[in-house]
Amino acid sequence: MKQEMLTGNEAIARGFYEAGGKMATSYPGSPTVQILDACKQYDNVYAEFSTNEKVALEVAIGGSFAGVRSMVSMKHVGMNIAADPLMTFTETPTNGGFLLITGDDPGLKSSQNEQDNRLFGKFANMPIVDPSDAQEAKEFTKAAFEISEGFETPVMLRITSRLCHARSIVTIEEPSHNATKPVFEKDNKYAMIPPASVVAQHFMKERLEQLQEKSPEFDLNKYEESNKKDVLIITSGISYNHLKDLGLDISILKLGFIYPLNYDYILSYTKQYERVIVIEEMMPFIENELKLMGITCEGKKYFSFTGELDSRDIKNGLIKAEAIEGEIKKPPMVLETVKRLPLFCSGCPHRPIFDMLKKSKAQMVIGDIGCYSLGILEPTEISHSIISMGATVGITKGIRKAMSLGQKSEPVVSVIGDGTFFHSGIPSFINLLHQQEDFENMTFLILDNRTTAMTGGQHNGGSGNFNDQDDLHVDIKALLETIGFKRIFEVDQYDYKATKTIINQEIAFEGLSIVIAKGQCALKYKVKKTPYYVDPSTCIGCKTCIKTNCPPLKMKTYEGIDGFKSSIDSDMCVGCGICAQVCPVRAIKLLDGKEVTK
Amino acid sequence: MMNIMIVGVGGQGLVLTSGIVCEVAKRSGYDVKSNDVIGLSQRGGRVWANIRFDKKVYSPNIPVGEADFLLALEPLEGYRYKNMLKEDGVIFMNERIIYPSDVVFDKAEYPIKDIEDMLEAFESYAIDATKIGKTLGNMMVANTIILGMLAKKLDFDVAIWEAVISERVPKKAQLLNQEAFYYGYRYV
Repeated sequence: MKQEMLTGNEAIARGFYEAGGKMATSYPGSPTVQILDACKQYDNVYAEFSTNEKVALEVAIGGSFAGVRSMVSMKHVGMNIAADPLMTFTETPTNGGFLLITGDDPGLKSSQNEQDNRLFGKFANMPIVDPSDAQEAKEFTKAAFEISEGFETPVMLRITSRLCHARSIVTIEEPSHNATKPVFEKDNKYAMIPPASVVAQHFMKERLEQLQEKSPEFDLNKYEESNKKDVLIITSGISYNHLKDLGLDISILKLGFIYPLNYDYILSYTKQYERVIVIEEMMPFIENELKLMGITCEGKKYFSFTGELDSRDIKNGLIKAEAIEGEIKKPPMVLETVKRLPLFCSGCPHRPIFDMLKKSKAQMVIGDIGCYSLGILEPTEISHSIISMGATVGITKGIRKAMSLGQKSEPVVSVIGDGTFFHSGIPSFINLLHQQEDFENMTFLILDNRTTAMTGGQHNGGSGNFNDQDDLHVDIKALLETIGFKRIFEVDQYDYKATKTIINQEIAFEGLSIVIAKGQCALKYKVKKTPYYVDPSTCIGCKTCIKTNCPPLKMKTYEGIDGFKSSIDSDMCVGCGICAQVCPVRAIKLLDGKEVTK
Repeated sequence: MMNIMIVGVGGQGLVLTSGIVCEVAKRSGYDVKSNDVIGLSQRGGRVWANIRFDKKVYSPNIPVGEADFLLALEPLEGYRYKNMLKEDGVIFMNERIIYPSDVVFDKAEYPIKDIEDMLEAFESYAIDATKIGKTLGNMMVANTIILGMLAKKLDFDVAIWEAVISERVPKKAQLLNQEAFYYGYRYV
């Protein structure tokens, strides 16, 4: 028996492959980004990172319609943009098995909100399965395809960030299913206009009822019986493993199939106990389902509605519920000490832009989602808003229009990255031209590093402009010109003075302008040029370079020289040269002795 | 239950390092779970990993105060997670400092004294593994030196360590990594 250490994400990809999965789509987002990356290693699998989650879902729907087992994965907020096709797709029968993976993020480790997508599953009339570790993630993926094809339903596999990134031992098997169905027949049950869509409401309801009836046979739940009959814990997902870690003598009903629940099945266990306590992260989903069925239970009043529940949180909740004895305490994991904020990488092309914005007359900077979200944090602290992918463009227009109504003309600056531009920025750019007034000052900065960098450097619509192997070569400037924008500038983010001149000029310009700031992601494209060093005898210790906040830079003392001077860790420096360009006395020089030209 | 915590700064190769420990534990016949906290890891933020092995492991998370070993790839990060250690826990530290921006901007002082006190209070092995790695041939082997230290304190067969490290590092760096591993191993 072959076994490997896999993360939850890798295990899902393995399960997809073993289940004979053929089409995998996604849009990169933490915590699920690794699923698609892992799918790419398997033969006879078509895997793509699509333009956004909606497109990814639609491509996978096509796969299912054409008769192959298909899977789309996304982070929880991706469901919001994918909701449009989803809510109608679930009205139709699936053909090839269909799995939707949502990576929820309790504790918002890398997200802008904490939405509980189990509610989305219910809203969309889909069954939901919830694995608790990597082995189960693989098994449930395979089981979900069987359920999907057995009931002609899309299935939601709901995972959380901890499960996605935690590694555990997984048994490796060979693919067992290789049946591809014929392409769906021309049939009005796939065309969702009345009367077919009216009929579909009944199909969906009956499908859920059948799932409810048959769910105990899926064998995804587990009952562990203790001799004590006072309390039954109902739980699911990774909370089960945190609970088990406590080593309590307590009965547990662990649900793997969490929606729709079967009343008789649940009651057959709960009726044996005096109390039922539900342990689940985020919203009281299972608790509410049980209560709707008329099963008396408790849960959220003992456990936090937000964040992860680790074993200590679970213990504390059970003590509060008087289900176990003990002392409620929560020792802090980290000590109060000097904080360490994330910062733009060495040589990041975005860094100079934020340095310029900080020094500019921009009163209001509307940010977006990507590495440049860091513009909110110290030391830049220049971005004032982050809502959702691509939102900066529409919000900026709204702010501008509202300010114009109040006769205010201060410049408004919008910052968006190339990945976000391709994901959902384009429709908002088109919308800018509607009822545009010439005098309205808006400056849009498109930070173009030719990759979706925040999630580890996946390709996007413009990646091919840097990387010949990539097939996507969308030229942002040409696209915007075609849309009808007149005032577009392209600048080299590494040319500090020229870029700063253009940005300041456009912020001052009374009208709409777009600046595309280009520079390849130093991390993704492994930029490593000749490093720089500080000549301490020239350095005046003004810290202008330090304020660009590049990781290799810090002040230090040199032997024989008074006071603190700047320094550069040559191991970390990738040679972008921004610090040398901002230095007022040319104290920063190339290590190889060549002349600094800019 | 054996609990190992690795802490550091994004970009230090924490995921590779924790993966090696997991694989060695797995090949030595244990149930293993690990937990790499990544996210903003590539951008100089703090990162950490939990590794747990025993006959059966449930949660991938080490409870506060139960880590047997703390592998600090950076001193401040080691100090930050001091609470995770058992009273008789052991620290292996790379002394090479990576300054956080608050220190660079003179908003805070790097807590040298706190770190030294911690090293005093626990059984500790601290070296500038980056510098030693550079002397051996490449600073990238710093973590392998730290792994060598850990290996000395664990009961696993060194042949398994050698094999797993060789499989997971670039081919041309295999010899150098073996050398680095034994440097750490002999240091403890």
